[in-house]
Amino acid sequence: MIGKLRYSIVFRILSGIVVLLVLLSVFIGTIGYQGFTSALLDQYADGAFRTAESAAELVNADHIPRFIESGGKSSEYQAAYFSMDRLCNSQGVTFIYVIQPDLTDYGHITFIFSTINHDSHYSLYDFGFVRATTNDDYRVKYRRLYEEGSERELVIRDQGYIQTDPHITAMVPLKGADGRTKAILCVQRQMDVLDAARRQYIRNLFLSLGAVVLMTILVYGAYIYRSLLFPIQTITGEAERFADESIPSGNKLTDMILNRDEIGTLAGSVDRMEEQICSYMENLTRITAEKERIAAELDVARKIQAGMLPQLFPPFPDKTCIDLYATMHPAREVGGDFYDFFLVDDDHLALVIADVSGKGIPGALFMMISDILIRSEVKPGITPATALTRVNERIYKNNRAEMFVTVWLGILELSTGKLQASNAGHEYPVIKRAGGSYELFKEVHGLVLGALDDMVYKDYELKLEKGDSIFVYTDGVTEATDADNRLFGTGRLLDSLNRDKDVTVKGVLDEVLAGIRDFVKNAPQFDDITMMCLYYKGTDENENG
Amino acid sequence: MNITISQNGTEEFVALEGRLDTLTAPDLEKELNPLDGVGSLCIDCKDLEYISSAGLRVLLSLQKTMNKQGTMTLLNVRQEVMEVFELTGFTDILSFA
Repeated sequence: MIGKLRYSIVFRILSGIVVLLVLLSVFIGTIGYQGFTSALLDQYADGAFRTAESAAELVNADHIPRFIESGGKSSEYQAAYFSMDRLCNSQGVTFIYVIQPDLTDYGHITFIFSTINHDSHYSLYDFGFVRATTNDDYRVKYRRLYEEGSERELVIRDQGYIQTDPHITAMVPLKGADGRTKAILCVQRQMDVLDAARRQYIRNLFLSLGAVVLMTILVYGAYIYRSLLFPIQTITGEAERFADESIPSGNKLTDMILNRDEIGTLAGSVDRMEEQICSYMENLTRITAEKERIAAELDVARKIQAGMLPQLFPPFPDKTCIDLYATMHPAREVGGDFYDFFLVDDDHLALVIADVSGKGIPGALFMMISDILIRSEVKPGITPATALTRVNERIYKNNRAEMFVTVWLGILELSTGKLQASNAGHEYPVIKRAGGSYELFKEVHGLVLGALDDMVYKDYELKLEKGDSIFVYTDGVTEATDADNRLFGTGRLLDSLNRDKDVTVKGVLDEVLAGIRDFVKNAPQFDDITMMCLYYKGTDENENG
Repeated sequence: MNITISQNGTEEFVALEGRLDTLTAPDLEKELNPLDGVGSLCIDCKDLEYISSAGLRVLLSLQKTMNKQGTMTLLNVRQEVMEVFELTGFTDILSFA
């Protein structure tokens, strides 16, 4: 991990700096090299020209035709040659020579004088030797000296392909008394000294650059390690440890890292973050435990509530004149809806469906009370309306939470099919006559139970014939809502009920539930869905009682 | 659910918009209580789309409070909400205009 960090941070910072230093050095070095070369070259050329001017004084240009006539044997020529040779050897130049180019295209030169430094490894051109002009550079300069009145020209040969070592040639015209150029005196000086100086310069440049880079890496690297790498490594190590172990460490990062920069801030933040995460996790653990406890309690509550509702079907196997089925699907663990049925006496079956104004635990508690009160008030000889009136009084008296419950209560005389019922603010029952369709039965409604004192409820009566059915439900059915907030409604309820007319009572409830599920699709269930269906088979068949 | 309340002396006017259900009924209860000194409470139900039993409970509670100190009237109740009032017998205890 340390190696990885070293690569990712210090290595990157240092290599960046090294690259920058090298680029800067190359830039400065190039400028320096050019300045250095140009200054040295000037100095070099000056020396060569001074020698050339001294040598030019040795030769009388007007006497050159005589030198040619004598074939370089005249005493004046010999004297000038001797002086020039001495000059050549005393001034440290390679050649001093005098030439006459042909004046048509300066393509050839004829040597008049040619002296050489005795230390050089070159050989002399003899008097009168003719050779081709070396290149166009020379040719242009010869022409200037002859035709344009130039007083000095310089040719530098230190680049490209050359037969000799790098050198410069300083040229001055030898003019006659008429002021016209008669010949050219050239001084060739080797550039070996200049070259050596340049090499020395470059070597020094790179040596010092290397030293600077090395120093930078050592000094700056150590600094970076102490002020950057070590703290970051410490923070990273602590963060990784915390990610793995999730327990606070004994020592704070801010005690180990004394930086007052962003890294110090980071260390402080990591310290604080660890503290907060730890306390958050403690809270979460506590809350989770609490939630689990509540969930466990709710589960028990759900079982208690489910145990309240009769769930064994058929409930009264010996009562063959009826088929009865009921279901409740709570929206949460426990619900506020309930259904109930029980025999009041041997010939009377009480049917209850109810909806409490609340869900969850409060709804479930209120539902339990309501169911118990209804069971205790429904007695032989008591009509449903009287029972509801009494239940209302008892609920109202202790109704601190101002909750209420809608109840449909019916008492069916099994032997005759006479159904006496009363409705305290509950949904209309749905009735199907034998061979017909399910239709809403719009009876008189009283107020919900528990809302107001001194309410009086009314009974109504209808007669179930053989083959008739009655279906009661809670608003969780009609108010089942789809994703667009549309309600299932009584229309769709009747459609579902009438879809298959020959189905059993359980089948009827399944049809409705399927219809609801099909309608709401993925929308969540908000309300408890409770339904009960009774099919009256009549008393033609043999039955006890 | 949007609840807009305006007051004029002892008259309080409430406009309800949206669904009055388990989620929104506690808001209405909180917004309106206490009804100290209110002699006349008008609830405009023109834009009330739906009412659940939790909403009925709040209306019942308001009605009980107003029975002691004045009147409560519901205005412009829609057909579908009116059906709920009829079904639950609330038409017997609420006043409509």
